[in-house]
Amino acid sequence: MAGRSAEVLLGLGFAGIMTTLFLGFQWAPSVAIDAFESPAAQRIFYWHVPAAWAAFIAFAVLFTGSAMWFFKRSPLGWRLHVAGAEAGLACGLIAVWSGCVWGAAEWGTPWDWTDVRLNTFGLLTLLALFLVLGRQSQPDGVESRDTFSTFGLFGFVLVPFTYIATRIWEIRHPGPVVGAGDDGGSLSGDMAIVLFIGALSFTIFIIGHILISMRITSLEQRLEQAQHHIDGGK
Amino acid sequence: MDGMTYLTVAYLGMIAGIAIWTWTVVNRSRTIEARLTAVESSMGIIASEADSISKEHED
Repeated sequence: MAGRSAEVLLGLGFAGIMTTLFLGFQWAPSVAIDAFESPAAQRIFYWHVPAAWAAFIAFAVLFTGSAMWFFKRSPLGWRLHVAGAEAGLACGLIAVWSGCVWGAAEWGTPWDWTDVRLNTFGLLTLLALFLVLGRQSQPDGVESRDTFSTFGLFGFVLVPFTYIATRIWEIRHPGPVVGAGDDGGSLSGDMAIVLFIGALSFTIFIIGHILISMRITSLEQRLEQAQHHIDGGK
Repeated sequence: MDGMTYLTVAYLGMIAGIAIWTWTVVNRSRTIEARLTAVESSMGIIASEADSISKEHED
């Protein structure tokens, strides 16, 4: 039942993401021709920002799961940790990839090592990569879970740091266009609608992925117990 | 490359990535579930959501 609802959410989210793609191409207004070096590539924004938003949701789930495992030894916490790391990695990679492609078109370079926002978000994605690969390569046990949970807990510090980075140091990455404060941002109404549909779709999609990933971890644990039973354990 | 080419490359890459990732996860879930159901029913094990590592720690 839980597996089916996760699949429904995945389907809904995917359909919404594709709708965002269509609206971003066909319906959203173009930006001013002199505002960007590459105005067409700006349309990647309708996926880049929602993907980064979904990555932050995943990192929040990773943080919550890490805390629940580390302080309470909660099996649910461990499942949240695993799901948060996997979802954070996937959405982080989408945001980094789309940002690099846009940067190559707009700035003439895919990455700027002096930009704080780029580097802190890149570090977050690398942290998720470390957690996913580390879990797959290490034997499952209390010690390894404690180690990975610690990284999940302290790595979360990068999330608020990434969020405020463009507000404090606007080096290369554009500043906020939503909730920017006094001037209310630089988005037109139609652009904001497409962005909202994108954010909602990515949120539904990532919740579906987190649920299905938690289910897989649970099934793997049951499989391990069955193996233990076959081997003559209690 | 012009902006539209960059945009097409980026979107195709992401669509492929999202589709492959989703397909892999759903397929993995269904495969493990089918295997587990077969093993548990053939051995008469009662399905449990318990985590052996946290149980081990509690013991």
